[in-house]
Amino acid sequence: MRALHFVWPALCCALGCSSDKIAGLQYQCGSAPDATVAPDAAPGVCGANDPNLPLEPTLPTDVCQTVVADKSSPDENDLDSNRIQAALAACSGRAVKLVSDGANNAFVAAHLTVDSSTLWIDRGVTLYASRNADLYQKTGSCGVLGVNDSGACNDFITVRGTSPAIVGDGVIDGQGGEPLVGHDYSWWQMSGALQEIDGSIGNPTLINLSTGTTGFVLYRITLHNSPKFHVKITSSPADGSCDAPGQGFIVWGVTVLTPSNWLNSQGLPMSPHFARNTDGIDPGTSDIATCGVIACSTISTGDDQIAIKGGHWVSDLVIAHNHFGTGHGMSIGSETYGTYQDMNGVLHRGVENVSVYDLTVDGDTRPVGDGASPADSNGIRVKSDSSRGGLVNNITFSDVCMRDVANAIMITPAYNPLFAGTSYPQFKNLTFQNIHDVTCMSPVQPVVTLEGFNASLPAGPITLDNVVVDNIGPQAVAAAFADIRLGPGNVNFMPNGLGVTVTNGITDASAPRACQFPTLPVPPVPPGWLR
Amino acid sequence: MSLSSTTSRLFVSLLLASGIGAGACSTQSSSSHGVCVVSADSALGCNGVPDPDGGATPNLGLVGYSCTGSARPDEAPTYADGVPQGVVCADRGALADGTQGYCCSEALTPCALNPVAICDAPNYGYQCRGSQRPEAFVSDLECGQGIYEGDLIDYCCSGFPQTDGCTQTDSAGCSDNMMGFICTAGNMPKAEQLGANQSRADVYRLLCSVPTILPSAQSYCCYTPALPPVGGTCVPDSLVPGCAAGRFGIACYGPDTPGQDYPGMACPDPGVAGRDAEGYLATLYCCDFQ
Repeated sequence: MRALHFVWPALCCALGCSSDKIAGLQYQCGSAPDATVAPDAAPGVCGANDPNLPLEPTLPTDVCQTVVADKSSPDENDLDSNRIQAALAACSGRAVKLVSDGANNAFVAAHLTVDSSTLWIDRGVTLYASRNADLYQKTGSCGVLGVNDSGACNDFITVRGTSPAIVGDGVIDGQGGEPLVGHDYSWWQMSGALQEIDGSIGNPTLINLSTGTTGFVLYRITLHNSPKFHVKITSSPADGSCDAPGQGFIVWGVTVLTPSNWLNSQGLPMSPHFARNTDGIDPGTSDIATCGVIACSTISTGDDQIAIKGGHWVSDLVIAHNHFGTGHGMSIGSETYGTYQDMNGVLHRGVENVSVYDLTVDGDTRPVGDGASPADSNGIRVKSDSSRGGLVNNITFSDVCMRDVANAIMITPAYNPLFAGTSYPQFKNLTFQNIHDVTCMSPVQPVVTLEGFNASLPAGPITLDNVVVDNIGPQAVAAAFADIRLGPGNVNFMPNGLGVTVTNGITDASAPRACQFPTLPVPPVPPGWLR
Repeated sequence: MSLSSTTSRLFVSLLLASGIGAGACSTQSSSSHGVCVVSADSALGCNGVPDPDGGATPNLGLVGYSCTGSARPDEAPTYADGVPQGVVCADRGALADGTQGYCCSEALTPCALNPVAICDAPNYGYQCRGSQRPEAFVSDLECGQGIYEGDLIDYCCSGFPQTDGCTQTDSAGCSDNMMGFICTAGNMPKAEQLGANQSRADVYRLLCSVPTILPSAQSYCCYTPALPPVGGTCVPDSLVPGCAAGRFGIACYGPDTPGQDYPGMACPDPGVAGRDAEGYLATLYCCDFQ
C-alpha cells in the first residue's frame, strides 16, 4: 500500500492521466506550459498591469563609456578588472556598457565596485569572475579548504551609492564549479568540504550591496554559478520612507541559473546539490533592505531561490510574478533577530510586511543531483532558530503553485536544532491564500510544517485560506505551538499537535488554484545525454 | 557546560531496566532516593504570572513538582523503537520546605533525561529526537549547543540562565580569520557562545589557540575547521610544552601532520616526540593558523 501510494503519482503523470483521480484535484500532469508566463516574455509584458508594482525599469539611453571585449574565453592571465573599474569610476551617475566586438564576447575580472553608476552587460556578452582566490583575499582564509570563515573573501561586485544598477541581457558568471587558480578544487568543493559540519564557507558573493545604498536596480541580467550567494541586497529609499513599492530597490526580469552546465570544464558533474550555498536573491543579508520589489524573475539554483534575511531589518517587500526551478525555497530567515532604529527613533525588528504572490515553484525542471535530500526541495519556508531568531510579522503568500517539492510549506523555529541561544523566533500574522502544491514525478509525499517556538512564543495567527496540498496524508502534517485559522477557502489537511489551536472557518468548497508551470531555463544537454 | 558525545542509549535503557531512575511522576512518584509530588502551580509559577489586569492565567502546559532527595520528575523516560519518550523539566531550585522544585511538561515529549550525559553541574542532559529542542517543551529551560548522536541530539540544560564562562569579543587581538573569546579560568570557548551574527556549524568545541593569560581571565583565538579526514589522528592540545600563547598546540598519534588534518595550519618546526595532555605518546607540534 505504501509503495503504491508513492508510485501512483508518477504513474499517473507518465500515463497522462488526470490527477483528479487521486483526490478530486484539478492539475493535469504533463499539461502544456503556460506561454503567458514564459520567463523569456518580452519586456513590458510581465507585471505591466499590476497596481502593486512600479513601472518596469528600462535600459539606459545614455552610455558614458563602452568597453569592448578582447577575448572569447576567461583568460586568467589577461584580466579586464582595471579597464572596467576605470570606466565605472569615470561614470558616476551614468552607464558603462560591456559589448562584443563581433568575435570576442568575454570579460574576466576580480573584485569590482559599482558606485552610483550603471554596469550594462550587453546581450551575448559574459562577465566572468576570476578564479584566483588571492584576488578576493579578505581575512586570509579565502580559497583555503576546510575553514569555516564566512567572511573570508571580498565580493566579486560590490555595489554602493545612489541609484546604482546592473542591467542588460548579458551574463555574469561566477565560475563557482571551476577549479581555482593554483588549486585542484573549486569554490563549490570548498563549500562541500564544510557540509558535514553544516558550516558556511566564505566564498565571494557575486553581487553584494554595501550599507547605505539607495535605489538599487537589477534588471534583465542573467546570473550563473556564483561561488556563494548570488545577490545580497542592502538598499532602501533615499529619504527612508516607503511611499511606493520599489523605491528602495527593484529586481526585475532577472534570470538565475546555477549550475549553468551539467559538467564543468574538467568533466566533473555539476548539480544544484553540488552548488551548495548559492542563494539567488537575498534582501537584508548585509544590512537593512526596505521598500523593494522582486518581480518577473526566474531562479533555479542550489540553495534558497529567495531568502529574506532579518539579521538587520527588512520591511515592505513585494515579490511578484516569479518562477522558481530547483532550490531550497521562497524563504524568510534563518536570521530574523535584527533591530533597527530609524531616523524618527522608531525601533523596527526582523522581517515585516512582505507580500509574495503569483509564484510558481517547480521541482521538476532538472534533477537536484547525487546526495540530495528532501531538504533540497522546498516551496515556502519561514525558518529560524534560537541562535538567530526574532520577529517575523505580517507576511502574506498568495497565488502560489508548487510542483513536486518535498516541503510544501515549512514554518520552523528550529531550522538547526543544534544551535543554542536566547534569540527566540517569533512568527506572527502569516497568511497563506490560494496555495496549491501538485504532485507528478516526486516519490516523496509533500510535508507541511507549522511550528512556533514554544507555548510562550507560539506562531500565529497562521491563516490558511484555500490551501491544497495534493497527495498529503495526516502523517505529513507537523504542527506545534501555533494558532492556526482555516478558511474561508478550503484546506485539505487538518493540523494538530502540542500547543496547537485550530479555528475552522472554512465556509466554501473553493476550487484549488489552477496551476500551470512555465518552461524554465535549464543547462544545455551535453551530446549523447538522454534528457 | 560540557557534554559527552559518547552517551549510550543502550546504557540508559539498562539503567532503567535495572530500576535506576524508576518512578513515574504522574501525581506522585517515589524511589529509593526520594519522592516527587505534584505541587500547586502558585508555588512555582510554572505557567507564568497571572495577568494583573484580571485576564486569564496563562497556561504553558506545565506541571509543578516538588521532590525530595535526588528524585526528579523526569527520571523515568523510555525509548520506543529508538525514539525517546519522557517529560522535560526546568529545575527551579530549593523551595521553602527544602524540597527541590521543577516545572515539567505535562505531556510526553521526544526527549529523555540522559543520566550519563557529562554536563557541568548544575546542568543536566536530555537526549531528543526531531527538530524541537528541550526549550520547546518548557519555556524556562535553557540548553546549550546540541550534538548529534546518530538520529538523536544530546543537550545540556538548566532551568536557570546559563553562566557561559566565555564571551566572544573583537578585542582579543585575534587575526581577521579567527574569533576572539575572553574566558574565566577553567572555561574554553563553545559554539553556543558565538554571537547571533557569527557563522555557526554543527560542532561543539571550536579549535582554539593556547590562551593568553590575563589578570583574571584568559583570551583565546578560535576558528571552526572542517572535520579532519577519516583516519586523521591529530587533536588539539593546549599543553604542548613551549607553545606560546596565540599559537596552536597539536598532538598527533599517527604519521599524519596537523596541516593535513587542519587546512591552514602551518607548523614551522618538526614535531617532537612526547606525551599529550592526557599522557599518551604522541608527536607534539606547535603551529600557527594562517
